[in-house]
Amino acid sequence: MRFELTQEQQLFREMVREFAAKEVAPRAKQVDEEGVFPHETIKKMGELGLMGVAIPPAYGGAGADTVCYAIAMEEIARACASTSTVMTVNNSLVGDLLYRFGSEAQKLRYLVPLAGGRTVACYALSEPGAGSDAAGQQTTVRKDGNVFVLNGTKNFITNALEADFAVVFATVDRGIRAKGVCALIVEKGTPGFTITKVEKKLGIRGSSCCQLLFEECRVPAENLVGEVGQGFKIAMATLDSGRIGVAAQAVGIAQGALDISLGYSMQRVAFEKPIASFQAIQWMIADIATRTEAARLMTYRAAWLKDRGGRYTREASMAKLLASETANFAATKALQIHGGYGYIYDFPAQRLFRDARITEIYEGTSEIQRVVIAQHLLS
Amino acid sequence: MPLNIIVCIKQVIDPEIPASQFKIDPGTKRQVQGSHSLVISAYDQNALEVAIQLKEKQGGKVTAISVGAATAATALKSALSMGADEAILVDDPAIAASDQQGIAYVLAKATQKVGTFDLVLTGCVSGDWGDRAVPAFMAEELGIGCVSFVSRIEAKDGQVVLRRVVEDGYELIEAKTPVLASVISDDTNTPRYPKLKDIMAAGKKTIPTWKAADLVLDPDRVGSGAARVAITDVYLPLKESKCEMIKGDTPQEQAANLAARLRELKLI
Ligand SMILES: Cc1cc2nc3c(=O)[nH]c(=O)nc-3n(C[C@H](O)[C@H](O)[C@H](O)COP(=O)(O)OP(=O)(O)OC[C@H]3O[C@@H](n4cnc5c(N)ncnc54)[C@H](O)[C@@H]3O)c2cc1C
Repeated sequence: MRFELTQEQQLFREMVREFAAKEVAPRAKQVDEEGVFPHETIKKMGELGLMGVAIPPAYGGAGADTVCYAIAMEEIARACASTSTVMTVNNSLVGDLLYRFGSEAQKLRYLVPLAGGRTVACYALSEPGAGSDAAGQQTTVRKDGNVFVLNGTKNFITNALEADFAVVFATVDRGIRAKGVCALIVEKGTPGFTITKVEKKLGIRGSSCCQLLFEECRVPAENLVGEVGQGFKIAMATLDSGRIGVAAQAVGIAQGALDISLGYSMQRVAFEKPIASFQAIQWMIADIATRTEAARLMTYRAAWLKDRGGRYTREASMAKLLASETANFAATKALQIHGGYGYIYDFPAQRLFRDARITEIYEGTSEIQRVVIAQHLLS
Repeated sequence: MPLNIIVCIKQVIDPEIPASQFKIDPGTKRQVQGSHSLVISAYDQNALEVAIQLKEKQGGKVTAISVGAATAATALKSALSMGADEAILVDDPAIAASDQQGIAYVLAKATQKVGTFDLVLTGCVSGDWGDRAVPAFMAEELGIGCVSFVSRIEAKDGQVVLRRVVEDGYELIEAKTPVLASVISDDTNTPRYPKLKDIMAAGKKTIPTWKAADLVLDPDRVGSGAARVAITDVYLPLKESKCEMIKGDTPQEQAANLAARLRELKLI
């Protein structure tokens, strides 16, 4: 057993860390407070290979592995969770989906520019009435000659406002639930496809989150990913790998919480001593560090399992569950260490506190991760 | 005109660490690495960037050379991922404790072993000791010209034009190749971030390690025995802070007294 990154992985971590410190972190406050999509950063990240980390070069990606992807997500999230949210949707929810399930033509047309960071995409599974219960899709799709016709509403779709295309899930028959689901690529500007609402939200405010409406939206038949009825399987397989990304994002937020806790506690003086000299503060710091390390190891292990080609559904769920709860623990403690300043917008503690919250909700809530893990254990 | 460029790379302990974490081992009189990372000395990265840009424009080849411990292979990998074509590590216990002149001699021998070269680039000063001595010694050793504090280099009519930064501006110096230049940072040579695919490709390249014997070094010119410079003591500067209240009945008077006091202290 070797708990060591390869030399390339280490060099890659250094590069992303430096990039994040110089290019991402200085904008994080503005991205959050003004809710602006970090266009310029995303473009630069694309040039470096960060929008298709684990996608082979033949499809526009950097050709690294999932461990590198986890490293990159962690380092970017440590600097700015909003930016890492955009990154994870492009890399895993859409990039990985197209790479694993798309046709050659779809890969060339959609994956190559996406993995190279020249386009943005979104993944539209959730609906107003179908979140955790994703098989209960109400959006319908029917074949009409050489096109598929979509009708319905999608909810809380990250990146939708900036996306050049969406992967949309819909059912041919509501009665047969998961068995009827299809995955379709829908380009921006397709008649019948509109964004009806941009949500205001607690955290990750630099990424957009939208409601999409499809009204007799006609999509060419060649935009079907996989076969009719395979959509649910595709959606779930994609979420398996997506969860590694969210786990890594959560590890990054937790690490960010540790960073600011160390910095602040050594410099803040109370009772004529740095607060870091109080055992109560030291214990919080030790707990944050220990849990973050545990979450990081589980995340790397899930990534490593994916790279080895084995099954990793359970491990990805466990990593996502532990890491997201750790991010929230770490951010809560970091805020506490900052005292009143933790509650104030001038300091980053409150941002981490708000950003951490989403990691326990999207790509399967903590409850759903426990359902997945228990199902694996009990089956 | 394609250029064969040698870039000398030194690996140092990250100089960006907070001063409070800077520790010296009293025995070896060296900085303690502790948990701090090792990086390429900052100006060496500017030199590398200048070299890569020249190669992209003119064609040719960039070879990075580092004299250092085995760990310096990481710095060389990072040079490869930025765009150097080849990298060579010179690592031998016999040269480990050399002084600046000894290191310059080793670098010159390694440069000659690489073969023909048009340009040798170094950083203008290293991020650890900051002696600024190696470039000039090295040029002397190679018997070529040396231009220091160069921010930009252009190839022109079979020569190179070097922009040398001086106090109030810059000088343009035309030089015949081969020539050595020590590089200073400016906004045209900010080191690029390596692309992920280039990091992966660099990972697959091998870095040869040359020993003293490979370079046929004169044993009397390297190592601690040959060193003409000895470090007798290294210590952290003591910083004292004192507070002095400036008196005066009115703000105007206080300001005048403050100015007088600052002048007395030769601060203004
Ligand atoms: C900011 C943001 C971005 C998002 N981005 C995307 C996106 O890009 N694409 C996309 O498709 N979706 C996205 N989502 C949607 C997200 O995945 C869902 O919100 C999430 O899956 C939960 O679904 P729900 O909101 O409908 O909650 P519900 O499913 O209604 O859950 C409500 C509560 O019930 C619990 N619960 C539900 N079922 C069970 C069960 N079987 N056992 C135990 N507890 C249960 C849940 O854990 C939760 O606590 C995003 C959401 C947000 C807030």
